[in-house]
Amino acid sequence: MPEGKIYEDLSTVVGRANTVFRIIAVLIVLALFYYWNVQILEHKKYWDLAESNRTRVRALPAPRGLIRDRNGVILADNRAAFKVSYVRENVVDMEGSYAAVGRLLETGEEAIRGRIDAFKSLPAFEPIVVKDGLGPYDVAPIESRRLEFPELVVDSEPQRFYPHGPLAAHVLGYLQERTPEEASALREARTEVGHMGGRTGIERQYDDRLTGEDGYLIEIVDSLGRGHGERDRRNPVQGQDVVLTLDARLQERAEELLEGREGVIIALDPRSGEVLAMASFPTFDPNRFITRFTPAEWLQLVNDPLSPLENRAVRGLYAPGSIFKLLMALGGLDFGYVDERTTVFCGGSTVIYGSPFACWFQPGHGSMDLSDAIKNSCNIYFYQLGRRMGIDMIALAGERAGLGVRTGIDLTGEKDGLIPSSQWKAKTLKTPWFPGETISVSIGQGQLQMTPLQVAAFTALIAGRGARIRPHLLKADQDAGKGAKAPFKSAVYGPIIEGMWRSVNDMGTGRAAFVAGMDVCGKTGSTQVMSRERAEKLAKAGIEIKTHSWFSGFAPRDDPRIVVTVLVEYGGGGGATAAPLAGRLFSLFQELQGP
Amino acid sequence: MMIDRRLVQEVDWVLIGLVLINSLVGVLFIYSASHFVPGAYYLKQLAWVGAGLIALILVVMVDYKFLVAFSPYFYGLSVALLAGLLVFARLISGTKSWIAFGSFRFQPSEMAKIVMILLFARLFAEYKSAYLTPRFTALALLLAAVPGLLIVLQPDLGTALAFSAVAGGAFVLAGMKKRTIAVFLLLSLAIGVGGWNYGLKDYQKRRLATVVSPHQDPRGSGYQVIQSKIAIGSGGLTGKGFKNGSQIQLRFLPARHTDFIFSVVGEEFGFLGVFTVIALYFFMLLRMFRSVTKARDRAGVYIVFMASLLIAFQFLVNILMIIGLFPVTGITLPFLSYGGSSLLASYVACGLILNVRMRRFANV
Repeated sequence: MPEGKIYEDLSTVVGRANTVFRIIAVLIVLALFYYWNVQILEHKKYWDLAESNRTRVRALPAPRGLIRDRNGVILADNRAAFKVSYVRENVVDMEGSYAAVGRLLETGEEAIRGRIDAFKSLPAFEPIVVKDGLGPYDVAPIESRRLEFPELVVDSEPQRFYPHGPLAAHVLGYLQERTPEEASALREARTEVGHMGGRTGIERQYDDRLTGEDGYLIEIVDSLGRGHGERDRRNPVQGQDVVLTLDARLQERAEELLEGREGVIIALDPRSGEVLAMASFPTFDPNRFITRFTPAEWLQLVNDPLSPLENRAVRGLYAPGSIFKLLMALGGLDFGYVDERTTVFCGGSTVIYGSPFACWFQPGHGSMDLSDAIKNSCNIYFYQLGRRMGIDMIALAGERAGLGVRTGIDLTGEKDGLIPSSQWKAKTLKTPWFPGETISVSIGQGQLQMTPLQVAAFTALIAGRGARIRPHLLKADQDAGKGAKAPFKSAVYGPIIEGMWRSVNDMGTGRAAFVAGMDVCGKTGSTQVMSRERAEKLAKAGIEIKTHSWFSGFAPRDDPRIVVTVLVEYGGGGGATAAPLAGRLFSLFQELQGP
Repeated sequence: MMIDRRLVQEVDWVLIGLVLINSLVGVLFIYSASHFVPGAYYLKQLAWVGAGLIALILVVMVDYKFLVAFSPYFYGLSVALLAGLLVFARLISGTKSWIAFGSFRFQPSEMAKIVMILLFARLFAEYKSAYLTPRFTALALLLAAVPGLLIVLQPDLGTALAFSAVAGGAFVLAGMKKRTIAVFLLLSLAIGVGGWNYGLKDYQKRRLATVVSPHQDPRGSGYQVIQSKIAIGSGGLTGKGFKNGSQIQLRFLPARHTDFIFSVVGEEFGFLGVFTVIALYFFMLLRMFRSVTKARDRAGVYIVFMASLLIAFQFLVNILMIIGLFPVTGITLPFLSYGGSSLLASYVACGLILNVRMRRFANV
C-alpha cells in the first residue's frame, strides 16, 4: 500500500499519544514498586494484621472441682448452662442497644446498663455476662437473631450445681462472680473476670484448689463475628476435687433434727478432729446463688432476722451454760482445788459473798462429789468451786482447753469468743472484777461466749482424755492438732467422764441422749439469754422464758468415735430439747457403724 | 451491513484475545470473591462478557466515520438522559446513576464517556493547527462540562473523573501552549479550592483525607483502604491461594467483587499474581495505544487515543486506589470488576479501537 498524500501527516498527535502512554507506563511501574513494598517488605506487618482480624480468642471456663463427702457422695457438682455476654466493641448504637437487648433477654434496659457500667473498666472487647444459667431452649431465640445483635455472644459454661439442695449449705458455702481484683490475685491468673468464685464456706476456703485452669479457643471469625471453625484450642482443666470429712447421712439426719428450729448440730471424730456433720439452721439453698443475678433474693437472705446465711456453728457466739461445768471440773482437778472425793452439800440454795444463789433443783441434791455434781449439773458445787478458783484460774483453764478462741477449722469467718478475766475486764470495761461475777461464770453464764464448734472440740478433748484435736473438714488434712501439748494431767479426765456417763445412763440430766449399747457420755446446758433479775421478773409475771438448749457428749465411753454437740436457740432445758436430738444422732451413727 | 473479507483480516485478534483473557481473569476472581454469597455473580459477569462481545461486534461493523458523524445526536441524547436521571431517577445506594428496567439496571454515564470520545473526535479532527486557540478551547470545555457536571451532580465522582481525564486527553493531544496550560492549571486550582469548600460532600472530603491518613477514621472511609491494604500486604510473594484469602473469604474487604477486585488478586496470588495481571493488562494497553499509529485519519487517532486512555486511566486509578495512593472514588477496574455497564462500556471502547484499526486503509 502506498503511503502517500491521501493520508494526512499525523506524526505530531501520534507522538503526543505515545508520550502519554509512556507516562502511564512509568506510573504503572511505580505502582508495581509500591506493591512490592507492601507485599514483600511490609508483608509481616500486614500478615499479622490479617491474622488478628480473623481470629477471636474465647475463654473456655474450667469446671470447678467436685466436692464430695467422706464416702464419695457428690455434694457440689457441675452442669452445663449457657450465658449471654455483651461485647461493647461490636455495638453500633449503645443506647438503642441497651433497650433492644433488655427486651430480647427480658431483663429490662436498666439491668443491662447497670451490668455494663459495673464492668466499664474492662477493655471494650471483653465480654460482659448479662444473663446466665440458661438452658438450650432459652438461648435458641437469642442465637437466631445473631445478625441483629452482633454485640451478644452466647457461650456455654459449667455451672455449679448442688444436687442435694440445702444439704450442708453452710459448710459448702456459695459462689459469687469474681471481681477483676480477685481474678488477678488468683494464682497464675488461671481464670477470667466474670467467672464465679467461692465466696463462703469450703467453696471459699479451697477456692484455689477447686478452681481449674481455663482453656481458650482461637476461633476464625468473619467481619460480622460469625464463627468459621476453630484454629487452636487448649482445653480447660477441671479444678481438683475436694473430699470432705462429712458423712452425708449424718449431715442429713442432723439437718432433719433441726428442721423448724434455730440451732446447730455438730458431729466430729474425737480421734482425728474430722467433722462428720455440721448443720446450722435456718439454712438456704446454695443453688439460688449459682447465677450472677440474684440481688433481690440475696438481700432478702442477708436481711433476714434469722440470718440463714450465717454458719452458727463457727460464727454463733453463745454462753455455754452448764456445759462449762466440765471446764470448771478440769481446772479444779488439775490445779488441785478439788479432788474426785471432795464433796459439797447442795441444799437447793446457798449464800456467797452475802448474796443468795439458787440451784436449779430447789429441793437440793444433798451431799455430792464431782461426778455426782456433773451427773446432776448441780449449781451449788460449781459455785463453791468457782469461789475457790477465782476468775483468773478459770480463765487459765479455759485458755488451756482452747475455749473462747478459734479452733482453727478450715472454714473462713470462724469467730473467737470470750472467757472473761480480771485483766480483760480492767482493759475493756475499765472496772475491777467483782468476785460475785465469778459465781455466774462458774455455771457458764455471765460474759462467757463461745461457738458450738469450740464446745465440740472441747468435748473431743475430754473424750480423747486430753488428746487435743483441731476440727477440720478436708479429708486429706492429716496433721490436725497432732503433737500439741496436753493441756491437763491425764488423771483428771476419769471422774469427769464418769459424771458425764452417769448423766446419760444413770438418770442424770442427759438421760434423753441414752442409746442402748452405745455408752453415751454427755453434759447438758441451759443458757439464760437475759440477766437473772430480768428472767425472774418475767417468770413471776407468768411469761415462759426459753433458754438456749445445749447438749455435748461423746460415745462410746471407752475408745470414743463420735462427739455430738447440739445447740437449739430458745430450745428450753438442755435435757429436754438438745439431749434427745443428740441421742438420735448417736443412734444413727451406731446403725451406720454396723454391728 | 456486510463486512468485507479484507476488513475481517485486519481485525486485531491479539487485542481481542488480551481483552478476553483479562475478562476471564476477572470472572475467576469475582468467583473467589463472591462464591460464598448468593447471586452467582461470576455467572452474571460471564453473561455480561458475552453481551460485551456482541456490543463489540456491533460497534466494529459500523464504520467509525458514521459514528463520528452522528455523534452530536448521541451527545444530545445522552445529555438528555443524564438530565432526566437527575429529575426522575430514584436514589440507588445514594446516587441517581441508574436507569432500571425491572431487574436490569444501566448507568447512562458509562455510555456518556463513549459519546464524548466520538464527539471530541469529530470536533478535534477539524482542528489541524499545532496548538489550540482560546475560542476553540472554550467551546470544547463547554461541550465536556455539560455532561461532566450532570455526572458530578448524580453524584458519581469516579465516572466524572474518568470523563474529565478522557476529555483532558484530547486537549493534550491537540497541543496546548504554555499560556493555555497555565490557564488550565489556574482553572483546575480554582475548581479544586472552590469544589473543596462548596462542591464536595463531606464523605468525599473524608475520602480524600483518607488517602493521607487512613487510620484517622478506621471504621468509616479508611476502613475499606485499611482492609484492602491488609489483604494485599498479607498476600506476600505467592499469596494465600485461590479462595483462601482470609480478608476476602471472611468478608473483611468491602466491595471485593467490584471496585476492590484487584485486592483479591493481591491477597490470594500475592505479588506474583499482581505482577502477572498488571503485565497482562500492560500488554493489552500497549496494544491499544499502538493502534494510534494505525489510524488513517485524525478522527481515528483521537478515537483510539481517548478510548485507550479511558481504559488506562481507570486501571491506573483503581490499582492506586485499592492500595491507598488515591482517594476511594468508585472507579472500577475495566474488564475485571463486576458490573454490566462498566464492562459494556469497556467493550464498546475496545470496539472503537478495533474499528479504527481495521479501517486503516482509505477508500475501502
